[in-house]
Formats: sequence, structure tokens, C-alpha cells
Amino acid sequence: MKSWGLQVFLMQLRKLVAYRLDFWVNFLGQTLFSLLIAYFLWSSIFSSSLQANINGESLQSMIFYYLMAPLVFRIQQGQGIGFLSREIYDGGLNKYLLYPIDYFKFKLSAYLANSFFFTLQLFAILCIYNLFFYDSTIYAFSFLYTLYFLISLLIGTCTFFFYFSTAELLAFWFDNTWSLGVALRFITSFLGGALIPLSFFPEWSTKALAYTPFPYFINLPMLIIQQKITHEKVFEQIFISILWLIVFYFISKFIWKKGNLVYSGVGI
Amino acid sequence: MIHVENLNKNFYVHKKEPGLKGSLKSLFKRQRIEKKALDNLNLDISEGEIIGLIGSNGAGKTTLTKILSGIIHPTSGTVSVMGYNPWDRNDHYRSQMAVIMGQKAQLWWDLPAMDGFLLLKEIYQIPPKDFYNRIEFLSEYLNIKEQLNIQIRKLSLGERMKVELMAALLHGPKVIFLDEPTIGLDLSAQKAVRSFIKEYRKEYNPTMILTSHYMDDIEELCPRISILKEGRKVYDGSLSLLHQKYATNKIISIDAKTENSYEILKANLPKEMGKVERLDRKVIVYTPRDKAMDTTKYILSQLEVQDFNISEQVVGDVIESILSQKGEV
Repeated sequence: MKSWGLQVFLMQLRKLVAYRLDFWVNFLGQTLFSLLIAYFLWSSIFSSSLQANINGESLQSMIFYYLMAPLVFRIQQGQGIGFLSREIYDGGLNKYLLYPIDYFKFKLSAYLANSFFFTLQLFAILCIYNLFFYDSTIYAFSFLYTLYFLISLLIGTCTFFFYFSTAELLAFWFDNTWSLGVALRFITSFLGGALIPLSFFPEWSTKALAYTPFPYFINLPMLIIQQKITHEKVFEQIFISILWLIVFYFISKFIWKKGNLVYSGVGI
Repeated sequence: MIHVENLNKNFYVHKKEPGLKGSLKSLFKRQRIEKKALDNLNLDISEGEIIGLIGSNGAGKTTLTKILSGIIHPTSGTVSVMGYNPWDRNDHYRSQMAVIMGQKAQLWWDLPAMDGFLLLKEIYQIPPKDFYNRIEFLSEYLNIKEQLNIQIRKLSLGERMKVELMAALLHGPKVIFLDEPTIGLDLSAQKAVRSFIKEYRKEYNPTMILTSHYMDDIEELCPRISILKEGRKVYDGSLSLLHQKYATNKIISIDAKTENSYEILKANLPKEMGKVERLDRKVIVYTPRDKAMDTTKYILSQLEVQDFNISEQVVGDVIESILSQKGEV
């Protein structure tokens, strides 16, 4: 990252902590809410099934999964829906086109700042969780796996940035792509394992999903943090996710180039 | 410095019929309309020159600014600014150019201006000594030093414009596009921005294109103007020449002791001597330049005059009359 990239990153972080109420609601509120839903939902599922394990998972491991998976997905979503399309729609893109820098690097720097903020949130919540509910069969600290986890998060976030950009950049032609973003986020969260762990999917579908980018967004970091994956498999999966990153980088660059030809810069 | 040749820009817009029925219909079928924003435009601007771009809304001024700054691509034609093709977005070109948009901000809304300046220092690779010298010069001249560490959203519109000016000029651009820099500002803020631009020009002599609807901006800053009408250039030359060429009337303002002076002149003034109007207590006569003497004599012979004034038509009126003429000027 060039020094201006670092400056963008730091400015975006400053922006995130500029408003106190927003900061705390952002930091704790949403997690608490999704945790409560997961707890009540899975408690009733487990009590009605009369089994201690469902698909090899205990109630506590399911709650751990539902605590972490949305946070992982949130890290990868960075600035959320509209991070590029909004500015194409309202002409805010103009200012970036005037800077003697690469547009994607600028936006990625700001995006990663949000992801960094949510990563801190994830680790803070992980610490709080272990303080009260520590169980080494569910989560045990490992320096190496934490490093793998961070690498998979970083690659997953960059991949998600370019993957989502391909839809966001369609705003050059369709102006408003909000609904497309919502649909894409839902599909990704479902096929990536944020709504239901991929281990609950039929075998044929998980095999098919391996040829798509979806498992590398949420499923892979979750397997790593739960240490349910071997070192060799981690390397292999990270390698494949890098390939997806490259694919989406080139696709979004191509759409960007074409979109610029039709951009009218309205709202200047 | 800036060379524009046979420049054309067409936009495509979708036409929607009014009402819910029209909106529902447009979900399946839309009528696409081609709109000509620039029509075979030619323009040359020398180094260090400042030119005022004038025209009604939709005349193509902003489109031209967007093309010259590389924001959008033209449909056809050639443009060269400092030897660069703007829409190639060459980094060397973008480092030497600035756009100031009165209606759009480049600084971050939730952070103080100084944070934005520090980012621009890195983006434009401004050496620290130059950066702090420019901050000192610009903030002092714009009288905005105290506001640099306050969130942008908490600044007044005038203060925001001043910090936006600072942001655009920090890297010492050689070409500056000013698009409505005084829009929405109160009179004193407009004046402050104008006098700053004047001072800045004296100090750095950049090439400038100014777009404004305020004639005071144009008259005070631009010896040369270019008038655009429906994407075509209808006048390009000096302001004074425009006056000589198109200001066909002189304005005679009369404050008379005579009762019903307006009615008297309205009824009796020969048609070739001009048009009579009333403005509060005064009577205004728009008379052809070559008839000014005769008209004056006639008025003095008809009325007992208390106060009398002959003036030139204001530039705004001249331009308005050019823009309201149908077809070529």
C-alpha cells in the first residue's frame, strides 16, 4: 500500500469512530442481536430433536459458529452495499477520477479499513466469549491457525471486494443496483455458509460449491478458526481463493473500463 | 495550452411518461432519446489565460468542463490540454490540473479539512515544506485558519467553499476548471472568493476556465468569454468587444417633476427612439446607441427633469439577449 493508501485507511478508521453512538451500536449491538436469535433458534431445535448433537455439532459449537460466521461475513463486506454504485449514481465518482491514483486502490484502502475495524470487533468478541464459555473442544488458541485465519480473511475480503464490484459497477448502465446488491449478498451468505454451515448441505452440493468462490468467503475462515482443517488443506484452499481473487480482479477491471465509456458524471 | 477541435458529446436519456401508468410501462419498454450536449465545438485557450464560459442551463458548459478534466469521454472530436488527451487520465496530467465544483465536495464530510489536506499531500506527493507553505498562504488569504480542524459538515457554506478551494489548489495546478465556485454563497462570501481567485492568479498565473451564472464573477475575473448555446459556441472574444458589438441600446434613466411623465413619454416618444418602461418612480428609456443624443434632447424638451442618467446596457442583459435570439447570432 502506498502512503496515500495508508492515509485513506487511517482516515476511514477515523470516520468510523467519529460518532460515539454509531460506534458502539456498530461494535456490539448487531452481534448481540444475532447471537440472541441464534441462541433461541438452536436451543429450540436441539430440545425438539432430543439429541445432544446434530450433524456432529453440539449446541455450544453451533452458537459459537453463529457468533463468528456473521462477523466473518461482515469483515468481508467492508463498506457494505453501494460502496461503488452510490458514487456512480450521484456523481461522487468524479473526484476520484481527478486524482492521479488508481481508483480501485483508493477504494480498497477505505474498504480494508472497515474490514480491519470489524476484525478487531471479532477478536474482542472472541475474547469475551472465551472469558465466560471457554471450551477447548470448540475453540483453542493456536498461533498458526490464527495466522491462517487472518490470511484467509484478508484474501477473502479482497476477493469479496472485487467480486461485489462486478455487480456494483453495473450502476454505470443501470444507475440503481441496490436490489442486485441485496440479492447477491443473500446468495453469498447462504452459499458461503453464513446462514447454515456448509457441513449441513447435501454432499453433492458441497462438492459443486467447491468450484465456486462462495466457500472461500465464510466457510474456509470458519473451518480454520475451529481448527477443522489440516495444514495442507489450508494451503490448498488459500491457493484456490487467490485464484478467485485474480479472476474477479480482472473481471471488475474490465467492467470498469467499459463503464467509464458510458459514465456521464451526473450531479457535478 | 488548451485546444478543442470539433468536439461533440451526445447523451442518451430515457423518456418516461407521467403518472403510475407511465412508470409501469417504462419497466418493460422505454423510449431512448439522444441529447446533443456539445455540437462541433472549437476552442483555444493560451497559457495563463482565464476565460469565462457562459450559457443557459443545459448549454454544455459543465459537459465541456467534464471532458477537459477527463471525467467523461466525448462522442467525437479532439482535445489537448498541456499536450495531454484528458480522458487518457494520465497521472502527469491529473497532477497538474484541478477542478473546483461549487456543488460537489471532495473533502470528507465527517472529518476536518486538515485531514483531507494531509491525504491530498500524499496523493499529489507534495513535499512537506511546500505543503505547509501553501496551507499557510491559502488559509491566511482566505481567512479560514481557525476552521481547518473542524468537521467539514459543521462549517458554513462559505467556509466549506473556501476549504474546497484550498484543497483544489494545494498541489499548485497549472490548469484550473472552476465550475460555479460562488453558487449559493452570500454576497460577501462571493466577493471573498472572487478577490482570492484574482490574487491567486497574480501569484501563480494558472490557465483557468470559469463557469458561472453570476455576471459579477465573469465581469470581475474574465477579460475573455465564450458563450455556449445548445452545445454550440455563439460568441468567443473579449467582454468589451461583446459590448460594442451586441449592446445596441443605451439606457436613459429619468426622475422627472412632471406629472404622468411615464404616460407622456409612452404616448409621444417616436418609435425609432426606443422603448419606455417604468421602474418605481423613474422612467427608463432603452434607446438605440446612435439615437441617444436625439432621444435625450427630445426627453428634455418634453419633461421637467430632476435627475437624469445615461448608461450602457449591463453585460448580463447583452448576454441574455444573445441567448434568447433564435438560431445563429
